[in-house]
Amino acid sequence: MHNSPQMPAQRDETAAPETTGSSMSSRAVVAAGGGDAGLAAALPATRVQPSVTVVGDTSHVWRRRLAYFFLIGYALLMFVPFAWTVITSFKTLEDSVRLTLIPQPVTTAAWDYALFQLHPNVAQMFFNSFIVAIAVTLTNVVLGSFAGYAFARLRFPGRNLLFLLVLATLMIPDQLRMLPIYIITNALGLGKGPLQLASIVLVLAISATSVFLLRQYFLTIPKDLEEAARIDGAGHFTTFLRVMLPLASPAIAAVTILQFQGTWNGFFWPFVLIRDQNLWTLPLGLTEFRLVGGFGTNWPPLMATVVLATVPILILYLFFQRYFVEGIAASGVKG
Amino acid sequence: MTAASTPRPGKVAARRVGARQEALAGYALVAVPMLLFLVLNIGSILYAAFISVWRWNIRTGPQQFLGLDNYVKALNDPIFQSAVTNTVYYTVIWVPLTMALGLFLAVIVNQKIRGKTFFRGAFYFPSIASSAAISTIWIFILNPFGLFNEVRGALGLNPLFSLLGYDANQDWLGDYHTAMNGVIILNAWTTSGTFMIFYLASLQAIPHEVYEAAAIDGAGAWDTFRRVTFPLLRPGHFFVATVGIIGGLQLFDQAVQIGNVDGAPANSLMTLVLYLYNAAFKRVQYGYAAAIGVVLFVIIFSATLIQRRIFEGREPTTA
Repeated sequence: MHNSPQMPAQRDETAAPETTGSSMSSRAVVAAGGGDAGLAAALPATRVQPSVTVVGDTSHVWRRRLAYFFLIGYALLMFVPFAWTVITSFKTLEDSVRLTLIPQPVTTAAWDYALFQLHPNVAQMFFNSFIVAIAVTLTNVVLGSFAGYAFARLRFPGRNLLFLLVLATLMIPDQLRMLPIYIITNALGLGKGPLQLASIVLVLAISATSVFLLRQYFLTIPKDLEEAARIDGAGHFTTFLRVMLPLASPAIAAVTILQFQGTWNGFFWPFVLIRDQNLWTLPLGLTEFRLVGGFGTNWPPLMATVVLATVPILILYLFFQRYFVEGIAASGVKG
Repeated sequence: MTAASTPRPGKVAARRVGARQEALAGYALVAVPMLLFLVLNIGSILYAAFISVWRWNIRTGPQQFLGLDNYVKALNDPIFQSAVTNTVYYTVIWVPLTMALGLFLAVIVNQKIRGKTFFRGAFYFPSIASSAAISTIWIFILNPFGLFNEVRGALGLNPLFSLLGYDANQDWLGDYHTAMNGVIILNAWTTSGTFMIFYLASLQAIPHEVYEAAAIDGAGAWDTFRRVTFPLLRPGHFFVATVGIIGGLQLFDQAVQIGNVDGAPANSLMTLVLYLYNAAFKRVQYGYAAAIGVVLFVIIFSATLIQRRIFEGREPTTA
């Protein structure tokens, strides 16, 4: 409440720094707000606000224009490569290296090729990517909320040490684990057949990021709810499942999005652990087709495959943008 | 709630049972996740360190104890040296470039502008697309007959590029001299959105009063940024730089996707991790590969420590 009269004053100050007169008056408002923060002082200040904002608009036109110039320019820089990808997927090979915005002729031959003539076919790769991404997401949500809840709410000897160990794994680069994981999964018999997909799920089954995100969220839930459940005679597991887990759904959503997207896009572990062609995930297939599959510069079908691999993530992003941003901002570490 | 917390005689034993149950529940919930962390993460590095001091047979395991021989071998290996050089070069250029872009975007997006959400969303999107898709797009755009060369030709910029020594159909990602710079620009393009998100989080952590004070002192926009915002973002800088350096030293996806496992052209895209991959799976020298992994870990770890020292041990707010 104490702050509210000062806010418009600050806006006024930044709005017109050139004129000393206005800066004087704003200082007076600050003094009034600071000295006597009664309701009377707050009211006129809030009434001044709209007109001040208008002044800000006119005196900062150049800065705004510059900002929009950069914003739109950079947005174009982001947009053009994707747009070019889509356009190219409707071109013929000869046309694909020409600077034409509208394909001449418009053809779906590349799509036909990408959808029906690849070996292994796109549907198979979609299926592989999907299975792995769903499985990894599930294990992370389940195991992450188990551990997150325990670390946030249950007291047991060694809790802090164990949590520290979890955080320490964030310091271990995946790449350093490459060889040991390869040896371990082979020793477990996960190197053959469809089990290669299971080996990826095993490696990614739980990430410190998931545990951390969920623990932080459980910490923010008021204790009263838990205690009420406890008094009603609920045990720790019932309280966790019936009371706490439903309350943690925003954090669960963030973990779900983060893990699904990360695994769907994942290149490193499939590249290391998958040897059978028919188990390729989309990113692996996309890379292998170009490197060894003989369509190195057959751009149109390659671009159609890029679109196919990107669209599911784009759709998720359009619907759940908030969770993408929250997940990355809260964790900051790729899971 | 009050009933539970009121101490009652004879309840001590019951409370002890309660504490035991709580502990048991705790252990039960963390058992599986901790097993996975201990075996697949902590166990993995210890295992890698163990493998690194042996000549390792891929079937039978340890064959001959070598001590630090694998490490000595790595230090004298010219391809390892160029892998270190390439990786460090990439990190040293890519991290500041992407930080600058991310900060720039964050500051602009943080202003009172229309379509804030749209722009933020657009800038962040490349970060969430797969590296395989992004690399493929850029290989296409930067190929000798690709969009980039076509556009600069159409804009009449070719004389400028020929002054710099590039002809009209320069193969940016296939030429030894330009491949790594191409990867740097590609990844700066992709990651600037992520760094923007990080910077936005720390920009919003700066209290409003600070700007008010600066405004009262009559500071202009640039001065406010240079003397107030930038220094106050220090925890953000630390965090972004650390994430960037750790990520940069692990460059792998784009190197493979563009230059295959050989780091083509002419080892210019041979990174530390790629060399580790080669040693393990192409030359099948497990002991040597593990040693490279340990060296990589030491480099990353010390980079983080140095970083922390430079930023005077101030904790990042975001993590």
